[in-house]
Amino acid sequence: MKKLNQSFILIGFIVLFICKGINVLAQETKNDLLLNLSYFNNNNSYIYLKAIAKTKIDGKFQLVKDVTISFYVTKDSAGNLLGTAVTNNKGEAVLLIPATAKNTWSKSVKQSFVAVSTANKQFDETKANTDITKAKLQIDTAENKMITVKVLELKDTSWVAVKGVELKVAVKRMDADLGVSETQTYATDSTGTINAEFKRDGLPGDSKGNLILVAKVEDNDQYGNLSVEKSVPWGAIPSYQTNFFKRTLFARRGQSPLWLELLAYSIIVAVWAVLIYLILQLNKIKKLGRATTL
Amino acid sequence: MENSAKQKVIEDLLPQKFGKQGKIWVGILIFFCVIGLIAYIRQLSKGLQVTAMRDYASWGIYISNFVFFVAISLVGSLITAVLRLTDVHWSTPLTRIAEIIAVSAITFASIIIIVDMGRPDRFYNLFIHGRLQSPIVWDVIVITTYFFISLLLLYFPLLPDLQIMLHFKETTHKGLYKLYHFLGSFWKNTAGQIRISDKAITILSITIIPVAFAIHTVTSWLFATTYRPGWDSTNFGAYFISGAFLVGAGAVLVAMYVFRQHYKLEKYITEDHFDKMGKIVVMLALLYLYFNVNEFLVPAFKMKKPEEEHLRGLFTGEFAPVFWFAVSMAMFAPILILIFKKGRKPLPAFIAGLMVVIGSWFKRYLIVTPTLLHPFLPMQDVPASYRHYFPTWEEWAITIGSLAGALLIITFFARIFPIIPIQETITETEQHEKA
Repeated sequence: MKKLNQSFILIGFIVLFICKGINVLAQETKNDLLLNLSYFNNNNSYIYLKAIAKTKIDGKFQLVKDVTISFYVTKDSAGNLLGTAVTNNKGEAVLLIPATAKNTWSKSVKQSFVAVSTANKQFDETKANTDITKAKLQIDTAENKMITVKVLELKDTSWVAVKGVELKVAVKRMDADLGVSETQTYATDSTGTINAEFKRDGLPGDSKGNLILVAKVEDNDQYGNLSVEKSVPWGAIPSYQTNFFKRTLFARRGQSPLWLELLAYSIIVAVWAVLIYLILQLNKIKKLGRATTL
Repeated sequence: MENSAKQKVIEDLLPQKFGKQGKIWVGILIFFCVIGLIAYIRQLSKGLQVTAMRDYASWGIYISNFVFFVAISLVGSLITAVLRLTDVHWSTPLTRIAEIIAVSAITFASIIIIVDMGRPDRFYNLFIHGRLQSPIVWDVIVITTYFFISLLLLYFPLLPDLQIMLHFKETTHKGLYKLYHFLGSFWKNTAGQIRISDKAITILSITIIPVAFAIHTVTSWLFATTYRPGWDSTNFGAYFISGAFLVGAGAVLVAMYVFRQHYKLEKYITEDHFDKMGKIVVMLALLYLYFNVNEFLVPAFKMKKPEEEHLRGLFTGEFAPVFWFAVSMAMFAPILILIFKKGRKPLPAFIAGLMVVIGSWFKRYLIVTPTLLHPFLPMQDVPASYRHYFPTWEEWAITIGSLAGALLIITFFARIFPIIPIQETITETEQHEKA
């Protein structure tokens, strides 16, 4: 009996140990975090970094929110920290390159950026980096609705034209950009220039007929994401037509269609004329009654 | 017709004082009216929050009750106008019953719509901001018009009877005598007066038919002009009119039986009347059934998603018990009872009529509320009470109070005026004897 009790105690300890082991394993299993870092230069004035955090769950990529990302220039050391940002619902963390980084920024025509995610219960620390060469876009237009875009790269202290860079030229619309013609992308020639013809005549602009042209280099291995905008008076001035003063079935009081008024009032007048006639007949009956009494 | 026979008809048909039963009946009705009034005062002071109406089910049993009252009021035009114009004389004893049902129903239809507004002062906004394009404005116009026509149609044939009642000064209460005098002392039964009155009644009978059709069509358009599952139908006008004819005829069957039993009017409201009215109810129930089949089969055949939810809710879902109860009570059972000659005897006909009225009330509820609980956009992030509707005690009390109020008008009318036209009965008997 004593031997049996000892066996039970031993089995109990083994079960407890296995359970604990499984629990520890479960706690230690973490998903891999995928970090993607991009560089953006909008209008040669608005420069920022964007990190996108993703993870793979059940074979599908899912965006991860609430991950703290630290952005560094050159390398991930405390002295090179540009700032931190937290990913939003779209898994994006954005950081404007601060003015304090001006000296580091000016040192070289090439820059390396590093994004490091802070480790948490779900993910280990993850790093991503991107290297860019400083570049910019210039946009110009001619009266015959021709658009010229030039890609320039910083070499030492001067800007030089770059050949063979792919870019898009479009008009900014509410949700997405609309190409200025059927040509999807353009590649720069030996002068670093592309020429695009604006073929969207009649496109509604703002109240003055202005459209915003945008030229974009997207996800370029060397230059990152560059864009430049220009406002041009090539759009149509929209004419807003209002039905507010028109007589319609859905108009306000007093603005009902004439046919409805004619129909409705005719019926009302006709029926009430009959009723008034009958009340007059009632009066006639009264008079006849009085006459009979007399 | 001999003088003694005439006197017998007059004696039989003169209004009678309330007996013990009558007083109990009036007491019960007044009790329900008072409870309804108390509930309405609560609603006035606390607002519409005392009701179960919320963002989705913004029309509950008040509007169902309104549609019911409007429907039942159509009976005036059916019995009085249609049968009169088609020279059907057997309906003469029923005309006044039909007309007073119409007047009382349309009165409470107007009242209940103001109750549904919450704040009664908002009714004024309808006049200062109302748009001619809105079916609600048409409804107000047509209800007012129908009320006046019904009132005139009640009054003109009453004139000769008022003159008869003025002969009984000694046995009439002083106040009532004054009322009869005010309303009918000028009637001298002269040929000229009779000619004008007959002409007026014919004009009213012609006028009331399109107006009655308009009132029901416009009421149906309150729903059908709104793009919602269950209401988006071109069939709605005819569907409402056929339903209104049915419930009105059912109500006449009930009233016929009650007045016949209570006032001992077996000589005037005969078994033949029940037989004929029973046949009319069967025809109207079949007609309404036909429109119901149209109303449900066509959308069910296409089964568009929102319609599907609405139809499933009615046939097998949340509203299925009420739906099958209403359809069985308002159509199937009355048809099965009244299609047989034995079923058209007074008592079974009365039961069938009662079933029609009760079933029709619930049918109106099913027209109004389930649609509101099946909007096109899903109901999200709303309290659980928004997803369902069950009336509060205040709503029940006001609704029952309004029904009691309508019955009270009919009861008091029958106490004050002859519920069967005396002069017309005498005239028709004389004509019958001559023939």
